[in-house]
Amino acid sequence: MKKFYSVFIALVFVLSVAGASLAAKDTLIVADQYDPTTLDPIGHNDYPTSRACSHIYDTLIFLNPDGTLRPGLAEKWEFITDKDYKMYLRKGVKFHNGDEMTAADVKFSLERANTPAGSHIHTYSQDLDNVEIIDDYTVIIHLKKVNYPFFSSLVHSWGNIVCKKVVEAAGDDYGMNPVGTGPFKFKEWAKGDHYTFERFDDYWGNKAKFKTLIVRSIPEPTNRTIELETGAVDIAYPVTTIEIARIQENSELELQRKVIPSTTYMGFNVNKAPFSDVRVRQAISALLDTVNIQRAVFRGVGQTPRSLIPEVTKYSINNELPVHVRDVEAAKKLFAEAGVDPSKIKIIIRSNERKERIDMATIIQAQLAEVGIHSEIMQQEWGAYLSDLQKKTHDVFLLGWGLSVPDPDYAVSGLLESNAGTNYTGFNDPKLDEMLAKGRSLPDGEERAKVYRDMQLYINEQCPMVYLHNDEAIAGVRKIVKGFEVDPFEVHSFRNVYFEE
Amino acid sequence: MLKYILRRILMLIPVLLGVAFCVFTLLYFTPGDPARMVLGDLATDEAIKEFRDKEGLNDPFLVQFGNYVYKAVFKGDIGRSYSSKRPVMQEILTAFPYTLKLSAFAMIIAIIIGIPCGIISAIKQYSWFDTITMIFAMIGLSMPVFWLGLLLILFFAVRLRWLPSSGFSTFKAMILPSVALAAQSISMVTRMTRSSMLEVIRADYIRTARAKGQKESIVIGVHALRNALIPVVTLCGLQFGQLLSGAILTESIFAVPGVGRLMVNAIMSRDYPMVQGGVLFIAITFSIVNLLVDLLYAYIDPRIKAELK
Amino acid sequence: MTTTDEKIIPELVRKRRSPLFEVFLRLSKSPLAMFGLAIIFILVFCAVFAEAISPYSPIKQDLMHMFETPSSAHWLGTDEFGRDILSRLIYGARVSLQVGFIAVGIALITGGMLGAVSGYYSGWLDNCIMRVMDVLLSIPQTLLAIAIVAALGPSLMNLMIAVGISAVPTYARIVRGSVLSIRSMEFIEAARAAGSSDLRIILKHIIPNSMAPIIVQSTLGVASAILNAAGLSFIGLGIQPPNPEWGAMLSGGRQYIRDFPHMTLYPGLAIMLTILALNFLGDGLRDALDPKLKR
Repeated sequence: MKKFYSVFIALVFVLSVAGASLAAKDTLIVADQYDPTTLDPIGHNDYPTSRACSHIYDTLIFLNPDGTLRPGLAEKWEFITDKDYKMYLRKGVKFHNGDEMTAADVKFSLERANTPAGSHIHTYSQDLDNVEIIDDYTVIIHLKKVNYPFFSSLVHSWGNIVCKKVVEAAGDDYGMNPVGTGPFKFKEWAKGDHYTFERFDDYWGNKAKFKTLIVRSIPEPTNRTIELETGAVDIAYPVTTIEIARIQENSELELQRKVIPSTTYMGFNVNKAPFSDVRVRQAISALLDTVNIQRAVFRGVGQTPRSLIPEVTKYSINNELPVHVRDVEAAKKLFAEAGVDPSKIKIIIRSNERKERIDMATIIQAQLAEVGIHSEIMQQEWGAYLSDLQKKTHDVFLLGWGLSVPDPDYAVSGLLESNAGTNYTGFNDPKLDEMLAKGRSLPDGEERAKVYRDMQLYINEQCPMVYLHNDEAIAGVRKIVKGFEVDPFEVHSFRNVYFEE
Repeated sequence: MLKYILRRILMLIPVLLGVAFCVFTLLYFTPGDPARMVLGDLATDEAIKEFRDKEGLNDPFLVQFGNYVYKAVFKGDIGRSYSSKRPVMQEILTAFPYTLKLSAFAMIIAIIIGIPCGIISAIKQYSWFDTITMIFAMIGLSMPVFWLGLLLILFFAVRLRWLPSSGFSTFKAMILPSVALAAQSISMVTRMTRSSMLEVIRADYIRTARAKGQKESIVIGVHALRNALIPVVTLCGLQFGQLLSGAILTESIFAVPGVGRLMVNAIMSRDYPMVQGGVLFIAITFSIVNLLVDLLYAYIDPRIKAELK
Repeated sequence: MTTTDEKIIPELVRKRRSPLFEVFLRLSKSPLAMFGLAIIFILVFCAVFAEAISPYSPIKQDLMHMFETPSSAHWLGTDEFGRDILSRLIYGARVSLQVGFIAVGIALITGGMLGAVSGYYSGWLDNCIMRVMDVLLSIPQTLLAIAIVAALGPSLMNLMIAVGISAVPTYARIVRGSVLSIRSMEFIEAARAAGSSDLRIILKHIIPNSMAPIIVQSTLGVASAILNAAGLSFIGLGIQPPNPEWGAMLSGGRQYIRDFPHMTLYPGLAIMLTILALNFLGDGLRDALDPKLKR
C-alpha cells in the first residue's frame, strides 16, 4: 500500500506540472448538463440541443430579454393578413460553407419541420401551410389558420435556418455535420464529452469576441461547480439549489439567476375515479402545503405558482391570486360533499427519476397520509414513464412544462387542450378549448388579456393539476467573463461574451 | 494451434446469435414505446405510426429478429441510433476508445501494485506486511466502486483540488476513474499472486533448487515467479475483459463517455438499435479477450500447448 | 462482478465424522472469519428486529430538522427530509439482506439444477444448457441486470430477479464442474449399480457431495448480489422511495456530498462492511471446508 501512495503521488506531481501551462484567453469553456442529441435544429426538443443549435444557427427573428422581438435573418416583416406574414430577408448572409442564404433555404428550413423529421416540434409548426418565395430575399409565410402565437414561435430553435443544399446532401448524417449562418461554426463533437465550435469570421452581425467555444457535458451538479471553482470552466449551468451559496461566497464567481416560464405540477387523471370529481381534486389540492413543499425541496429557488401561466409570461395573473394555503378542514369537507372517504383512497404517484420530483412526491405522500390517503410512489425511467402516461390509466403524476416561446397560449394549450398530445390529465373541456381558440385568434391587447385572465381563473377552479414549482435559470460565471446574461428561456447566448484582461 | 483458434471463433457464432436473441427478447418485452421516445412527447399519432412502420416495429417478433440478423450478417449493418441518427457502429467506435483507455489504465495500475504486493506477501507469509496487505486487499474487494469513486472525488477533487472530478479528455482527468475502477482488480491480482506464489514455493522443484544451493533471489525471481505467474496472467486477462465491459458505474460517476454510459443511456431512452448493437459489441469484445487469454495461457504453459496440438 | 479468484477444488470424497462441527471448529480458528460472522449476525439481528431497535421511523419526515450532522438525537444525522439516517440504515439492512439472499437463492436453485442436470447427463442436454449459459456469461452481469430491470420495471422483487438471473451461469458452471468430478467416483457407481434412480442419485449423493464449493460461492455470491443491487439502485433502477436502501441512500446523498458528507459516508460504510464481512466469511469457509488448502 505504501508503494501505491508513492507511485500515485509521483504521478500526480508530474501531471500537475505538465498541465500548468497557460495561454492567453481566447477560448470560452462552458459546462452544460447534457450532451446535445443532434445538431439538426428540428431533430430534438431539449435544452442542451437548443443551446448548441443557437450558436450555429440564426432564426428569422430574435427575442429580446424583455420578451419583445427584433430582426434576425429577416430585416423587417409585415403582416399582410392575420395568417400571411411577409418577411424581408437580410442580404449577403453567408452560411459557414460560403454559400449565400436565400429564400429557398428559408422555405426549405421551415417546411422541413412539417415532415416526419420534425416530429419533435410539430406543436409549433403544425399551423404552417407553406412558404412562398417572392424573390431571393422575400418570402411569405402562409398559415393554415389564424394563430398569433405562431409568429413568436419562430424564435424557438425550430425556426433555425439551415442550408438546403447541405441538408439534402447529408441525409441522415446531417445531425453530426451542421452548417448554419450563426456566429460559430462546427468544429468537432466528442459525443458525451464536449463539442467545440469556432468563431465564424464571415458572420453577418457582430462577430464573436473569442475564437473557440468548448461546451462540456457534466451531468453531476457538484462536478459542474467544482470545475467552475477550479477555473476549468468559465460558465456553468444549470446550478442546483445546494450549489448556490458556494458560488455566491466565492469572490471569483458571480451567480446569475432569473425566474423562467417553467412549471412543475402534479396532474390528476381527470377521467378516473375519484379524480373525475372536481371536489376530490380540490380537496387534495387543499391538503397539500405546496408552498412549504416547494421551500423544502428547492430551498429558496423559484416559487410556488398560483396560475398555470407563469408569472414572467404576458397576461399572467399569478401575482394577483392569493397564496395557496393548506386547509385540512376544507379538504375534509370537500371529501364529505363528494361522498368519498379519504382513508379508502389508494393512489400511485408517478414520476420520472428526477431527484427534485421524487423529493416532492415523497413529501406529498407524507401529507396525504395525514388524512389516511394511502399512496405509493412509482419512479420510472423516462421512456416507461411517458408510455405509461399515454395509456391514461395512471392516477396522479409529476411533470414539468417549460415555455420556449413567449406566448401564454403555449403554457395552457399543450397541457389542457383536449386534443393535445401532451395532455396527460385527460382534461377535456369544450369551454376551455373555445377560450384557447379565441386567444390564438386575437392580436395582443386588452381583449386578448381578458381571455387569458378568465382562462386562468377557470383552470384554477377546475383544478386538473396542483402547481408545485416555478423554476429559475441559474448560472455560475467566473468574474473575468463579461457580457454574459442568463436567458429567460434557458437558451443562453455567447454572442456578446468577452474576457476582462 | 490454428485449428484451435478457428474452432473457438466458430463457436462464437452461436453464442452471439444467442446474445442477439436474448437482447431482442428482453427489449421486445420492455415497456415503453421507442417511437414515443424517439419522436418526443409532442409527436402526433400519425408520426408515431409512420415511425413504427418504417422501423418495422409492428412486425411479428421473429420477423423483426430475422431482419436484424439478416442485415447484420449479410450487409454488416446493425442500424442507426434512434436518437442521434448516426450508425450504431460509429457511435460505439467513438465511445470504445474511452472505455479501452480506462480499462487499460486500471489494469496497468492493478498489475503494478498487485503483483509486487502479492509476491512480498507470499515470501513473508504471516509478517505484518502480509497481514496488512491481505486486509487491504479484502477491503478493496469489498469497496463498492460508486462509493470509492465518490470518496476519491471528495478527497482529491473537492478537498485537495488536485484532480478534475469529471471528463476524460486529459491525462489528469483519467487518474481518478482509473484508480476507482482498479481497486477491485488490485485486490484480486494481489490475492491471486500471493496464493499462487505460496503454492509454488512449496513445490518440489523449488526445494530442489534451494537444495542445489541457488541464491534465494534466483529461486524466487526465476524459478518460482515464472510458474506462479501463469494463473495471474489468466486472471489479468479475465479481469481486463470484465473491466472493458463492466465499467458502467465508474463511467457514470466520472462522466466518462464510454461504452458503459452509452449503453445505460440507450437503455433509458429506448434506443433499441443502440442497445442491441452495444450488447453484441460487448459480447464480442469479451469473447475475444477470453480467447486471447486462453491462447496466452497456452503459450506460457507448455503443458497446455502440448494438449492443443 | 465476481469475487472468486482462487480455484475451488471439490475435495470432499471421504465421509467426514461430524462434518458441521469440524468445519465450525476450523472456522473458529480464523479471527477474520469470526469477525465476518459477527457482523453478519448483527446485520441479521438489525433486519429482524428493525422495528424494535431503530430509534425513529425510517420514512418519517421532519422538515424542521433537515441535513443535521450526527448528534445525540440523531446518531448518524438526518437526510434531506429530516429522516433519521441510522434508522434508515437499520431498515436498509433488511432490504439488502433480503435482496442478497433471495437473489442468490434464485440463482442457486436455477443454476444449481441446470448445472447438476447438465453435469450428470452430459451429451446434448449438457451441451444445450452450457451454450445457453455461455450466452448469458458473455453479457456482463451489471449490464444484464440493468436490461432486465428496465424490462420488468423497478421494484424490490424485480431487482432480486434481475440480480438472481444474472448470476445463474456462475452457479451452473460450478455445480456442473463438481458434479462431473464426482460422477465418476466409485460410490456413485455403486449407487447406480444398486438400482438408485437418477433423481435419487442427484439429490442424495451428488448435491450433498458438491456442497463445499457451492457454500463458498454462495457466501461470496450474497456479497456480489448486494453490491450489484446497490449499484442498480445507485443509478436509479432499484427500490422505490421512500423505502430505505443503501445504494439509493448513497446516490441520493451524492449531490450533497460537499456540505453533508455524512449522508453518503454511512450508507457506503454499511455496504462495505457487509460485503467485507461476507468475503471474510467466504474465505474462512473455503479454508475450513477444504483442509488441503489450509495454510
